[in-house]
Amino acid sequence: MADDNFIEIRGLRLRFGRRVVFDDLNMSVPRGKLTALMGPSGTGKTTLLKVIGGQVRPDAGSVLVDGVDVCSASRAELFELRKNIGMLFQSSALFTDMSVAENVAFPLRAHTRLPEDSIADLVLMKLNAVGLRGARDLMPNQLSGGMARRVALARAIALDPSLLMYDEPFTGQDPIAMGVVQQLIKRLNHALGATSLVVSHDIHETVAIAEQIYVISDGKVIGQGPPDHLRTHDSARIRQFMNGQPDGPVPFHYPADDLHFDVLRETSG
Amino acid sequence: MIGYLRATGERALVFFGHLGRASLMWGNALSGIPRWNDLLLLVKQIYNIGVLSLVIIVLSAFSIGAVISLQFHTQLAKFGAEDAVGVGLAMVLLRELGPVVTALLFAGRAGSAITAEIGLMKSTEQLSSMEMMGVDPLRRIVAPRLWAGMFCLPLLTAIFNVVAIYGGMVVAVEWLGGDPGGFWIGMQDAVEVWEDIGKGMVKSVVFAVVVTWIAVYQGYDTVPTAEGIGLSTTRTVVLSSVMILAMDFLLTLSMYGDFR
Repeated sequence: MADDNFIEIRGLRLRFGRRVVFDDLNMSVPRGKLTALMGPSGTGKTTLLKVIGGQVRPDAGSVLVDGVDVCSASRAELFELRKNIGMLFQSSALFTDMSVAENVAFPLRAHTRLPEDSIADLVLMKLNAVGLRGARDLMPNQLSGGMARRVALARAIALDPSLLMYDEPFTGQDPIAMGVVQQLIKRLNHALGATSLVVSHDIHETVAIAEQIYVISDGKVIGQGPPDHLRTHDSARIRQFMNGQPDGPVPFHYPADDLHFDVLRETSG
Repeated sequence: MIGYLRATGERALVFFGHLGRASLMWGNALSGIPRWNDLLLLVKQIYNIGVLSLVIIVLSAFSIGAVISLQFHTQLAKFGAEDAVGVGLAMVLLRELGPVVTALLFAGRAGSAITAEIGLMKSTEQLSSMEMMGVDPLRRIVAPRLWAGMFCLPLLTAIFNVVAIYGGMVVAVEWLGGDPGGFWIGMQDAVEVWEDIGKGMVKSVVFAVVVTWIAVYQGYDTVPTAEGIGLSTTRTVVLSSVMILAMDFLLTLSMYGDFR
């Protein structure tokens, strides 16, 4: 693996039953860069994050993360690797029996021997960064979806990891919080020198911060490059996606028979 | 015939697949050196699983002890043998009803709660996020519940036996006017520490392992949907109950001598 790539995926193949999720997918995430992963719904973007994190084992191919092949790594090696990875889940995945502050303190308590005073200070700093210092004593069920996501973001960055993976970080945010989260992701990437991989459907926000974008569809990478390059890409599929056009080579509908035929068949029993 | 064989083979594969995954889960959860934090998690689970089950155990034990005493007294009084109520009560409770009923109640209250809690954690990706933070959910979530279950059920069984005997005494002596000396001395003479109390507790330990294992595995392996969690919770109670009764028969057969 080239040293300048934090993640290198080669020949990735994965099937769930009969459904092909990845078919010979190749991808490189440069160290210290902010890379975005985009594509139509259901193309396996979240699954790809899970493959990178070693939670889903592919059928074939290699996935090197900071030099470790997660496909062949042992359980202990995977847990060691993950201490250096922060991940923001699409569902936030906050621990419901812990307060906001305890959630953010969780990775600090699990992996450091810092005194409680220092942990409390770090928690406040992380929560302040996402604008939720005042919500530290709330429980997750008292938070809105957007607030929960920001708490999850604070928890993901608690240990200042080398790799940050964000699954839909902008979903559910109001315009002010959206801008803050966007700048926070960008700042973290530059200040910490971290490598960031953002999965998002919010093209405008993602394009504004990403240095490189991968577009995946039908289990393959259909386009890659800097944002400006993709907007004017030769491929109509990529242009359609990047410009949010409903009509084009990427179908809006899940594969199905003709509507008239379907209706007539249902009516005739 | 071929279809039947194929279906049987498929069922066997599914069964052994589950057994393998459950064994791996068990092994991974209980291996490794416990840390100070693990002890705190264990104490919390002992409270959730054990202390919170006390009310149902105590109430049921008192009622069951009282009912058995009443039935024994009614039958034995016909032969003028009311003093034997204490012996009969102790034997039935210590050898059979204590371990079995406590385990059944435990499966219904604590087992179902364990399955539902772990299942919900899975469906809300809490287990996945824990994994991604480099914290093993088998050590953090599963292990404390397994240890707590194995620790609490024998203790709850002991409490059940004591309360049930007290309930039986209240009925036989306080209410129906039996002789307290006969009640207690008969019990004291007949009950043997290992043969009756010890073997009953061995049953309880075996039931504890079986019930907590089933409960934790059903939660950990659940389909992460509302329906999946419901099914897993039901399966925990049904499977545990059947296993408790089947294991009780086998343990009684193997521990209590020659039945030929």
